[in-house]
Amino acid sequence: MALSLALGGCGINTIPTKRVAAQTAWAEVQNQYQRRSDLIPNLVQTVQGYAQQERGVLVDVTNARAKATQVQVNASTITDPAAFQRFEQAQDQLTGVLGHLMSINEKYPDLKSNENFLALQSELEGTENRIAIARRDYNSAVQSYNTELATFPGVLWAGTMYKGDKPMNMFGATQQAQSAPAVNFNIAPPGGTAPATTPGSAQ
Amino acid sequence: MRFARRPVGLIASFILAVALCLAGAPARAALTFPALTGRVVDQAHILSPEVQAQLTAQLGALEAKTSRQLVVVTLASLQGDDIADYGYQLGRTWGLGQKGLNNGVLLIVAPNEHKVRIEVGYGLEPILTDALSNLILQEKVIPKFRAGDIQGGVVDGTQALVDQLSLDPSTAEAKAAQAEQAAQSGASPSARLGNSPIVLLMLGFIVFWAVGAVLGGGRGGLGWIFPLLFLGGMGGGGSYRDDDFGGGGGGFSGGGGGSFGGGGASGSW
Repeated sequence: MALSLALGGCGINTIPTKRVAAQTAWAEVQNQYQRRSDLIPNLVQTVQGYAQQERGVLVDVTNARAKATQVQVNASTITDPAAFQRFEQAQDQLTGVLGHLMSINEKYPDLKSNENFLALQSELEGTENRIAIARRDYNSAVQSYNTELATFPGVLWAGTMYKGDKPMNMFGATQQAQSAPAVNFNIAPPGGTAPATTPGSAQ
Repeated sequence: MRFARRPVGLIASFILAVALCLAGAPARAALTFPALTGRVVDQAHILSPEVQAQLTAQLGALEAKTSRQLVVVTLASLQGDDIADYGYQLGRTWGLGQKGLNNGVLLIVAPNEHKVRIEVGYGLEPILTDALSNLILQEKVIPKFRAGDIQGGVVDGTQALVDQLSLDPSTAEAKAAQAEQAAQSGASPSARLGNSPIVLLMLGFIVFWAVGAVLGGGRGGLGWIFPLLFLGGMGGGGSYRDDDFGGGGGGFSGGGGGSFGGGGASGSW
C-alpha cells in the first residue's frame, strides 16, 4: 500500500487512469452509434409507408447501416488507425444518407405529421446530438491520454510499466460536419445552424 | 534512459505539455456561462419577479420531494453556438443533479435566437426521453412562444416537466415509453443499459483488471498492485465528465452530478 501511494505520487496512475477514461468514452461512442443503428429499421419502415417513391434513399440507408454494422469493432480498434478509419467512414456515411432521408419528409405532409415518425425523428435527433457529444468527449479523453504517453513524466512510465499502451486515434470533424445538416430538421428556419454535429472541435 | 542522453527532448516535452494544457479546450473556453444564482436564472430578463418566485418555489418543492434538480434558464445570447451544444456544457458546468444520480434537467430559453431546449441529465434519460421532451416543447411551450407569450410557455413547460418528474418511476417510465413507442420498440436493451455511466465505468474496470492481470503476470506477481492503482485512479477515471462546481449564491447549488450527454430535445419558434 505504501509502495502504491509512493508510486502514485510520481504519476504511475496517470496512464491507466487516462486509458480507462478514454476507453469509457469510446464505449459511449459505440453505445450511441448502436442506439442510432437500432432506430433505423423502424424509421425505414415508417417512411416506407408514406414515401414509396423514395425507395432509392431507403435502400441507401439500409445498405449504409448494414455496412456500418459489419465493421468489426474491438478493443484494438482505437489504437489501429486503419480499423478506426473504417469505423469512422462507415458511420459518417450512414450519417450522410440518414440526413438525406430525414430531409425528404418535407415533401410528404402525411409523413411529417405521423406520430411514429415524429417520435422517431426526435429520438434520432437526440441520438445524433449524443453521438456528437460522445465523439467530442472521446476526443478530449484521447488527447489527454496521448499527451500523457508522449510527455514527461508519463513517457517514463510508458517506456517501462506500460509498454503495451499505444496512442489512440481521434475523430475528425470533416465529413460528419458537412453531411449532416439535416439532423436539425425540426422546425428550424432555413439556414438554421446545426453545429451540434461538429465533433472534434475540442482539439 | 533515452532522456538522460537527450535533455533537449525533455525540455521540449515539458513545453509541449504546458502548451497542451493551456490549449486544452480552445473552442469551448470561448463560451461563457451565467452564474447559477438560483433555480431560475433569468439572464434574458423575460420573467417577472412573481413568476420567478412561483417557479423557484415549484422547483424547490420538486427537489425536496425527489432530489431532482430542474433549473429554468433564459439566455441573453447563445454566443453563436447551437443550443444543444451550449446546453449540455451549461449542465456540466453547473453540475446539476445529485452526484451519482445525475438527475438534473435544464429548461433553456434563448429568446433572441428563438430557440428552446430541454437538456436532460443521464440519470433522467429513461423518464424524460427525447420523444417526451420534444412532445412537451411542441405541445406546451412552443405554441405559447409563437403566440408571443414567452412567460406562459415557460410556466407551462416547467409545469409539464415537474409533473413528469414527480411521478413515481414506473408511471413515469410508462408515460415516457408511450411518447416514444415507435422508437422504443426498436432499441436494444443493451443500448438502454449502456447509457448508465456506472455500467460504462464497470466495463472500464473489467478491461483494466484484465490488462493488469496480463501485465502483472508477466512481471513476477505485480498483478496485485493493479487493483490498488485503479482505486487510486478511479476518481479521475470516471470523472472526466464530472464537474464538482457548486453554484453558489441564493442558497442553491448544483448537486455535483453534472453528467449531461445530450439527452433531451430542442425546438425553435
